[in-house]
Amino acid sequence: MSEVFSYLWLIPALPLLAATVTAFFGPRFLKHNSHWPCVASVALSALLSFAVFFAVRGTFHEGPPPLGERANTVFKTYYTWFEAGTPGTPDHLQVGLTLRADPLTAIMLITVTFIGLLIAIYSIGYMHDDPGYPRFFAAVALFITSMTLLVLGDNFLVLFAGWEGVGLCSYLLIGFWYSKPAAAAAARKAFLVTRIGDAGMLLGISLLWFKCGSLQYDAVFATLPALKAAQATEPWLLTAICLLLFCGAAGKSAQFPLHVWLPDAMEGPTPVSALIHAATMVTAGVYLVARCTPLFSAAPDAQLVVACIGGFTALLAALIALTQTDLKRVLAYSTLSQLGYMFLALGSAVALEDGAEQPLVILAVTAAIFHLHTHAFFKALLFLSAGSVMHAMGGVIDMRKFSGLKKVMPTTRWTFLCGAVALAGLPIFSGFWSKDEILAAAYEASHVSKPFGGVYIVLFLAGLITAGLTSFYTFRAYFMTFEGEEKIPHEAGHHAHESPPVMTVPLQILAFFALFIGLILGPTHLFGGFLEKTPDLPKTVEEGHNWILMLGSTLFALAGTGLAYYFYLLKPALPALLATRLQGLYQLSYNKFYIDDLYDFFIVKPLVGAADFTRIFDKVVVDSLVDVVGEMPPLVGALLRPLQNGLVQYYAVTMMIGLTMLLIALARS
Amino acid sequence: MTFDQHLVLWLLGLPLLAAVVIASLGPQRGILIRRISVGVSLLSLAMALLLAVRFANLERAGLHDTGSTSVLPGTFAPEFVPGSTVASPHSTNWTILSLGPGSIHFYLGVDGLSIWLIVLTALLLLPCVLVSWTHVTERVNEFYAWLMILQVCMIGVFLSFDILLFYVFFEVSLVPLFFMIGIWGGPERQYAARKFFVYTLTGSMLTLLGMLWVVLACHQQTKVLTFSIPQLVQLVQSQLADPTTRPFWSTVQLGVFLLLTAGFAIKVPLMPFHTWLPLAHVEAPTAGSVALAGVLLKVGAYGFLRLCIPLAPDVSLSLGLPLLTGLAAAGVIYGAFTAFAQDDIKRLVAYSSVSHLGLCMLGMFSLTAVGLSGSLMQMINHGLSTGLLFLLVGMLYERYHTRKISDFGGMATRMPLYACCLVFTCLSSVGLPGLNGFVGEVMCIFGIARHEWSIAGRFPILAVAACTGLILGAWYLFTMLRGVLFGPVKEPEHHGHAIPDMLPREWAAVAPLALVCVLIGFYPQPILRTMEPDVQTVARITSLARTRASEQANAEGTSVAVQDETEKR
Repeated sequence: MSEVFSYLWLIPALPLLAATVTAFFGPRFLKHNSHWPCVASVALSALLSFAVFFAVRGTFHEGPPPLGERANTVFKTYYTWFEAGTPGTPDHLQVGLTLRADPLTAIMLITVTFIGLLIAIYSIGYMHDDPGYPRFFAAVALFITSMTLLVLGDNFLVLFAGWEGVGLCSYLLIGFWYSKPAAAAAARKAFLVTRIGDAGMLLGISLLWFKCGSLQYDAVFATLPALKAAQATEPWLLTAICLLLFCGAAGKSAQFPLHVWLPDAMEGPTPVSALIHAATMVTAGVYLVARCTPLFSAAPDAQLVVACIGGFTALLAALIALTQTDLKRVLAYSTLSQLGYMFLALGSAVALEDGAEQPLVILAVTAAIFHLHTHAFFKALLFLSAGSVMHAMGGVIDMRKFSGLKKVMPTTRWTFLCGAVALAGLPIFSGFWSKDEILAAAYEASHVSKPFGGVYIVLFLAGLITAGLTSFYTFRAYFMTFEGEEKIPHEAGHHAHESPPVMTVPLQILAFFALFIGLILGPTHLFGGFLEKTPDLPKTVEEGHNWILMLGSTLFALAGTGLAYYFYLLKPALPALLATRLQGLYQLSYNKFYIDDLYDFFIVKPLVGAADFTRIFDKVVVDSLVDVVGEMPPLVGALLRPLQNGLVQYYAVTMMIGLTMLLIALARS
Repeated sequence: MTFDQHLVLWLLGLPLLAAVVIASLGPQRGILIRRISVGVSLLSLAMALLLAVRFANLERAGLHDTGSTSVLPGTFAPEFVPGSTVASPHSTNWTILSLGPGSIHFYLGVDGLSIWLIVLTALLLLPCVLVSWTHVTERVNEFYAWLMILQVCMIGVFLSFDILLFYVFFEVSLVPLFFMIGIWGGPERQYAARKFFVYTLTGSMLTLLGMLWVVLACHQQTKVLTFSIPQLVQLVQSQLADPTTRPFWSTVQLGVFLLLTAGFAIKVPLMPFHTWLPLAHVEAPTAGSVALAGVLLKVGAYGFLRLCIPLAPDVSLSLGLPLLTGLAAAGVIYGAFTAFAQDDIKRLVAYSSVSHLGLCMLGMFSLTAVGLSGSLMQMINHGLSTGLLFLLVGMLYERYHTRKISDFGGMATRMPLYACCLVFTCLSSVGLPGLNGFVGEVMCIFGIARHEWSIAGRFPILAVAACTGLILGAWYLFTMLRGVLFGPVKEPEHHGHAIPDMLPREWAAVAPLALVCVLIGFYPQPILRTMEPDVQTVARITSLARTRASEQANAEGTSVAVQDETEKR
């Protein structure tokens, strides 16, 4: 076993150290050098992640694992985080700070740390004279800590710790420019909406703990037969577990109906949008579901929900992206849509009746994780390119205010184009390979899933249409920004220029990966071959590509691109005309299907009203009742007080009456 | 006497001595008084920590030798008891009052349930002294003397193992707080002080009746008159184990449970007995609020754990579980909603206590081992987070003389370090993993969820309420943060004088608590491990009650079945 595994803990610990150092010494001592701890620690973490990757690969050729160990997986328990209850009984909770390295983790680690490193370097240029420079890098380092902990954790609560940690960093970074009311509101919204999902997830974890007696992944998956047996009396069991876990995933990965926070999150600095809200944090939900594949694939009802929500979000977000004019928001909706794709793939992982080989499950999970990986590269690239544009345009990001920037920003233009072709899924570029796998998985599911086959066909078609829409809005954004007549907003002043090398070099590196990573890893079966070694994932059966499907999706992608070219370069008047003709549809898309307004009216307002009601109720009813009870003794006293009036005659009369009554009573007895 | 026994005595004696000295110094010598107070609080913290360390290192393995085979559960076994003998290390012979067959003892000690609450009490004294530094300028000697007496009472409650001694400390702790609110409080201080005093006193009178009832019932049944809590628990358990005495005890338990609950539920406070709390908090000076929220509320929950569940286990299960978890769950939601609608930050924090302690009670009355540990953890964590919140709100009030959220805006621009502290505290309060709140909350939720999942076909409504509490907690705190710290700067009128960011004195008050928050978040295991044996004692008591309940249900079931069969014939 490789030495590297002894240093697993350094991957989250180094950025944590950097975050602490930057937070305490940044503002006073480091100042404009505050990026150093963050960049250096993330670079080291990235190196370690690659080392872990190769070490995990190295374990593939070792023979069968010794007794009590899992193949291709390494566990390191550092200490018991907390423990309570009676040992030896089911009423016992033990959570160890255990890290785990297996192929799935290794892929996630590389994605997070490598892209994180490039984005941290880019931020040196992007954030260079911001007064909160140290704060930014401290938060980014803390984010890398939480995210690596999330993927390294070997039980649900360590995962949950990382999960909440990334949520915190997201909060801090969305609200980075806190004096902007929109940023402060967006930060709070992001935290609250994701926390709704987290609460469900925690409930799901409690159910897992109750049923499995442990929260460690392997122990949980080992009790799967028992869970299936328990389904006889409690048919809702696995579905409930999966759906509760999926609540958390839907919140973090911004799936309908919890998707509303992500577009608003664009109030944060652009590198944050690239790192957290495109490449890494929002994919945590995908990771969670992929990690729990054994559970999910055994619960076809839950899988149907996952697939439907994924497919629906993909289509919905793509439709909204068509009409947005804010470049970053187009990309944000595109992220929603692509995440929906990943969930569509995960939801297609339905187990066949019973058997060791589950070709569909591994196909679907590989497709989702592969898309996660390629998407991280090209979406980070697109966001950073958009950030470069924003940097040059003096903070303006409305595509109606600028155009034809290809001369002003040649490098950014090329890198954005690279990202665009990858996202649009044009043949041989990254998105093409991963998207096709997803469509293939959905298509396969329609054959395999007996009761829900029809639904999966619809989802497959939705995915195909989304592919066309994706390439349309991507190229719409590209044409509106970089092609056509040169127009620069006055906010840009005289400094509309290409960004400095510290920003463009990371862009170029990302561009290379965005173009070719799919080609390198996809058709060569390198990615799938590596991922399938993850324990608890079924093994692959070698399968050829579905050429007809690829042709079909290519046609859709090309049609979208062509249409965008026709609309925005050949006939620039056409979009406006179409918008006025189809006013209703246009407004629906432009206003995001009014979902935010509906939530505001039906959820937020009633809740605030309820809060006001309880405040008044507390004061008027509950507290007054107490006061009424408190008034009782004086009241009784007040009733009796007239008796003590100090008049001697009165006392004499009462004495007489009393005496008489006593005598009568005595006489009668 | 051993060193540890001296420590236990001095934990009580030092603040008492300090109170006498300070009171006699007169109001003019403020600086000296404050210095003495700081010295005393540092010293008591050091003593409490030393005691905790020595207690944690104690070999207490012998506590559960009887194992699960025994019918009788163990009882509390306090350590470091002054006046104990080698033969009976867990009891004392220091008598206060001899009553013929039995006597009231000066019975102090430490066990896993109380040790960390004692440390918490000692830890919160320093910030209380420091935040009153410039805030309290009149009758300084009286203020600090009352603060010290409050400290004596609160530590006394946790140290007492004699039920009457417990009651005396429990009750007397009202007096210093009454004066602190009534003399140094806000504009409505007299109303608040009176309401606080009368309300909680009424409850504790009933508690006293409940305590005496147990003592007398034990005396009647076993001819043993004792006021020692461990011995009472032992007697009640042995009586319950005997089927012939059970009918008698089921009545006694019901009465005892209701009477004890009356006092403790007001103290916790459980919804709907909470209305004295916001008022008292708003009017109290910062130090009073910190002590009230940090420690005094825990006395209620601690009373449930120490007395109510062990002395009335069957009723705690049959009546307490549905009743108190219902109230607690309602309180979680209700407190959160009411907190959201407040404009006064202090009032918001006060209602948040109702919500957080609701979660604590949910965990406790799930009557599972995990839930019990969680509730004890939640008590400590709530003391830290809410103590910190009150400290910070007090600092804001000292600067601007207002606490209305609507008066503020963008304070993060004006006081960035203060903003960091407030955000940190809110994160600890909403239970972010890595900070203290998380561990307790998770265990409470798991405890109550375990109870509910184990009932077939039941929708886990209480667990859902607990989880909703997590969302709502973030809702009101983060809305408050947005209003006060973020957005464009909006400062209340402050008459021209400069507004400093965190002062060194304020850092000294906040930093130790914040550090403890992080430590507990990352490594709560020392605390959990130390409290474990004694939580197990309570858990064993409840599990025996469960066994009895199911036996009884079976017996009734079979008798019904027998009846059915005879009818058929």
